[in-house]
Amino acid sequence: MTGGYDERCAADLANVCEGRDLSREDRAWLARVVTGAVRPNRDKPLWDLAHALCALARLTSARDGRDLVSLALDPGLARPNAIAARFGEARADGVCADERGLVFADGAGWRTTWAGLARLLALAEFLLTAEDLGQFALLSGWFGELAETPDGDAAPLLGKRLGRHLAAYRNAHLPLAPLERRFRGLLGYLRGRAEFDDDDILAFWCSEMEQGERPGFRTIAEHFVTFEAAAGLRNGLDNLTAADSLEAHVGWEERLDASLADLVAGDPAETLVDLLAGLAEGPKILTGAERDDLVDLLRLEPFHRTRPLTALRATSFGRVQAGLSNRLRRGGGGLDLAERVACTEAETYSVLAERVAALAAHLDRMLRIAAALRVPAEAEGLAPETRDALAAARADIRRVRRAGFDDPARLAEGFAAADSALVRLAGEIDRFQRAIAGLVRHRPLEPAFTADRDIFAKTFAQAYVAEATA
Amino acid sequence: MSDEAARLLAEIHAARALARAATPATRPGVAALWAHATRDPGGPVDLATVRAIRADPGTARRYRALLASQAMAHAPFAVAASDGPVASRRIGAFTLEILAATEDAPPLLILRGSEARSPRLIEVILGDETLRVALPPPIEGAILLALDPAVPEAVRLGAMLRDPACAAFLL
Repeated sequence: MTGGYDERCAADLANVCEGRDLSREDRAWLARVVTGAVRPNRDKPLWDLAHALCALARLTSARDGRDLVSLALDPGLARPNAIAARFGEARADGVCADERGLVFADGAGWRTTWAGLARLLALAEFLLTAEDLGQFALLSGWFGELAETPDGDAAPLLGKRLGRHLAAYRNAHLPLAPLERRFRGLLGYLRGRAEFDDDDILAFWCSEMEQGERPGFRTIAEHFVTFEAAAGLRNGLDNLTAADSLEAHVGWEERLDASLADLVAGDPAETLVDLLAGLAEGPKILTGAERDDLVDLLRLEPFHRTRPLTALRATSFGRVQAGLSNRLRRGGGGLDLAERVACTEAETYSVLAERVAALAAHLDRMLRIAAALRVPAEAEGLAPETRDALAAARADIRRVRRAGFDDPARLAEGFAAADSALVRLAGEIDRFQRAIAGLVRHRPLEPAFTADRDIFAKTFAQAYVAEATA
Repeated sequence: MSDEAARLLAEIHAARALARAATPATRPGVAALWAHATRDPGGPVDLATVRAIRADPGTARRYRALLASQAMAHAPFAVAASDGPVASRRIGAFTLEILAATEDAPPLLILRGSEARSPRLIEVILGDETLRVALPPPIEGAILLALDPAVPEAVRLGAMLRDPACAAFLL
């Protein structure tokens, strides 16, 4: 999934997440705060941070901004239990700790849990170190002003400053406007429906192409992935206009925040693309071409399980479209434009389905080898069938003509590092294969591909030939 | 309402993409650089951090940004009238002078400033060499430090500060 942020922002966030070894939930929370996906008020975390820093300034009798910066950058305070151990007994004027966290009586009874404080310190580190430390002096200056007079006005002032500061950061590093425009179009297209099918995705992409936007088919499909994940939230969102009625529902803010958190952190621990990147080293369990295929086929997770036709379309015609835009960017090279636009090179869905079957068979073979390498040949207590299967897999190793398979020590090491990734990839490709089998029953692949090729070719011709001849 | 919904969807989309992005972190991390920037003179240092600051221009730049942010004053180089060795230079609101040795006294470093607070440390950086020295409390507004020829660090401090290319941070 791409879009909505620049490399600087990704690096700024990665530095904080790795430096503090944040959990997936905390990473997702920080990513949400940075992009602004916090409701009802996206500045709330900054308000909280300002109060937390003000309370900490009093608790630690911070002399200057440096003391607060040191707290924010201390990796020893990255975990809630470490923070509780450090501040659990602390008392200061208007601030105290209870068993759950900090209570700031002077700050209108503001309070946070130890886990909340750990997150807020991560946010402080992000703000301090963002733009590769480009704003460090400014931010530590603000921290210094707060440390000098941590009175009742200090926290609201810092909260406002941080809110404006992060808004400016978003303007510079988070190009959300194109995403927002596209989602507005998508909502308009669906006219209030939460359900959609493969052909809705194709039709919406065609309409975007006609309007001259020329987004990738895959990019549009990614928007639908997010829309589908967020669909459960939309009712809550629509009701936000009626704040009066919402306030009647106790805890609606927490519920909304919890569902937003699920949306961002709910993805599998490691994306399939990351898993594949991890398989690039060691024995050649997967060739470069096999990895590329798996990335393209599985990248729209979860659509390879739930909407296999869209996954096939994105793989087949997504490659054609990527070739087209590369050629236009370079101003030449490879097939000429007319041939590309006609999708003569597009791989048919049947060919892709065969490739999926071949990948499934290959991953299954590799899994058997992984099992054989894990279980010693002389292991006792195995069922006869299991022992035979392992022996067969062990014998099979010699038949694999790939780099690294002739070196037993390296092979065992390579597989030991890769086998959990292999299990997941094999599982996903198997589910894709079954989803394709389900698709074929009501939509045979050959006629589906032919019909799609007409649509993609026509849309590409309108969008790209005009530019090439302009 | 669809505008607000579209905005939230865009923010969620970007947050999901960001949370999944596999971007490598910059090394060494800012915590290590900060610990180095706030160390006491003569205290233990993390050699890996020192090496990274020396060897990698990006790390050196980040380290200087941290130093500059907490320095009471800093100057990336001396604004010298001539090409010769510098006997006097300005560092922000401070003036730094080095009086030559006499027969019976070593060279003397004199630091004067109009600020109410006084720096506790000076860090000088010349090429890949860095030196951090504690400063004594001021006497009548001036900090005096004898550059004792028997103390290698003091000799080196004087020599580095006389080079116009030497950066100085008052902390």
